[in-house]
Amino acid sequence: MSAAVRRFRPGYASWATLIVGALLIWSLWAIEASPERLARLPAQLGTVLGFFWPVDWHYGHTRVVPAIIESIQLAWIGTIIGALISLPLAVLGASTLFPWCSRVIKGISAAIRAVPEILWAIYLVPIVGLGPFAGALALGINSVGMLSKLGAEVVESTDLSAMQAVEAAGGSKLVAIRLGLLPQVLPELMAHWLFRFELNLRASAVLGVVGAGGVGGLLLNTLRYRQFEMAAAVLVLTVLAVLAIDLVSGSIRRKLLRGG
Amino acid sequence: MSRPAPPPRQLGLTLGVIAVLATMTLWSAHGIGFSVSELVCNAAGGSRLLRESWPPDFAFLPRLIGPFLETLHIALIGTVVGAIIAIPVAVLAARPVSPNWLTWIIDRNFMNILRTLPDLFWAMLFATAVGFGPLAGALALSVFSVAVISKLFSESVEAIDMHLPEAVRACGGSWLQMVGLGALPQVWPQYAAYVMYSFELNVRGSMVLGLVGAGGIGMILETQRANFEYERVTMIILSVLVVVLLIEQVSASVRRRLA
Repeated sequence: MSAAVRRFRPGYASWATLIVGALLIWSLWAIEASPERLARLPAQLGTVLGFFWPVDWHYGHTRVVPAIIESIQLAWIGTIIGALISLPLAVLGASTLFPWCSRVIKGISAAIRAVPEILWAIYLVPIVGLGPFAGALALGINSVGMLSKLGAEVVESTDLSAMQAVEAAGGSKLVAIRLGLLPQVLPELMAHWLFRFELNLRASAVLGVVGAGGVGGLLLNTLRYRQFEMAAAVLVLTVLAVLAIDLVSGSIRRKLLRGG
Repeated sequence: MSRPAPPPRQLGLTLGVIAVLATMTLWSAHGIGFSVSELVCNAAGGSRLLRESWPPDFAFLPRLIGPFLETLHIALIGTVVGAIIAIPVAVLAARPVSPNWLTWIIDRNFMNILRTLPDLFWAMLFATAVGFGPLAGALALSVFSVAVISKLFSESVEAIDMHLPEAVRACGGSWLQMVGLGALPQVWPQYAAYVMYSFELNVRGSMVLGLVGAGGIGMILETQRANFEYERVTMIILSVLVVVLLIEQVSASVRRRLA
């Protein structure tokens, strides 16, 4: 800690503040956020917030709950696709095992991750048709990008002696990976998969914006037609669903990492 | 993970877990209409679309510069505003320095709820409240950045060495002096790294805000998509890829020096 404090010299900090401040003012000017407009903001936000009450529970019950369930299913399928494809890629992408292959796989996964999932969905919706299937594929693609990177890092940080022992005893590379590597890395990989599931759930909520299923389409439509009580139902139920799933998934993840 | 995990104790447990996972998967696949036959049926339309979307329309590139700048403006404002608000939110949510139990509980729950909503939801809400345009996007990313930075930063603050803040307290310093002089100086490098990380997320996020009318490159993307100008869509997505990767590289190298 003390080393880090020493390296972070105050000189840098004041320069950084100055530059960021200048950039901020330029940006505010560029998006036409004048002081008068900013001064009106709190009142404006307060007025709109008032419209969200009372929550339309009937809409919540009949329309939002099914859409949230669809979002969860979408996120799950996306995660399964991501996990299945990323598992071999994680092993092949480990620079300690396959140095040449690793560069290619890491480059591809960086490119995949750079494009937000909703942009993948834009391509997939015309290809596989409107609906959650396109969304699941989009999430799957993006999950592959993230999980193979994280997975490769897990494999790289693993002790390879168990693998070498299997190979020394005459096992093939494949057998060595199966018996010497996977048992060590699987719990951590599964923890990453669950974490990705949590992320996918949030992402799946917005895919509806481009017609790829889930709860996002409902929010967009209710807000567009100024049905604020219905939009409130979407928001409240989404928050509750995400909190609940985070809770369950988080506790399983901690168990996995403790090795229990 | 230096030692291999112990083998599963019971076969029953393993089988149970597999059964649960398989059921979830089948239920989900059924729910979202996952079908191979549909994929094959749509393959013709899909290949036509892919042919249309290649080669990208390079003549369109000059018209993207303005929207790209707007996107970066939105990301920058979102990051800076979010980074400032995140400091008090994170400090109050860190158990050792939080002034009292009630503030801590309230702030923690506030942070958790803030984190559940994706950036595009905030964008839709702000676009409704303040009108379509980049201001809505900047506000949305501000909230999103508060959520990201405060969570990470409060964990750093919780892990600080409490001797320094206690010393400030013992000399008669107020709570603000304790936080400002004793606690925060220990974690500024981490804070800077989290802000950079959040900027990376915001750059990526700001690319799609326009889909719901919140400004930036996404607005152009949405109109071209609606008109099925897919060679332009490809051009936009390729340039998003390049810009995001570039900014990530720069930001990641700064972060490595901070950490």
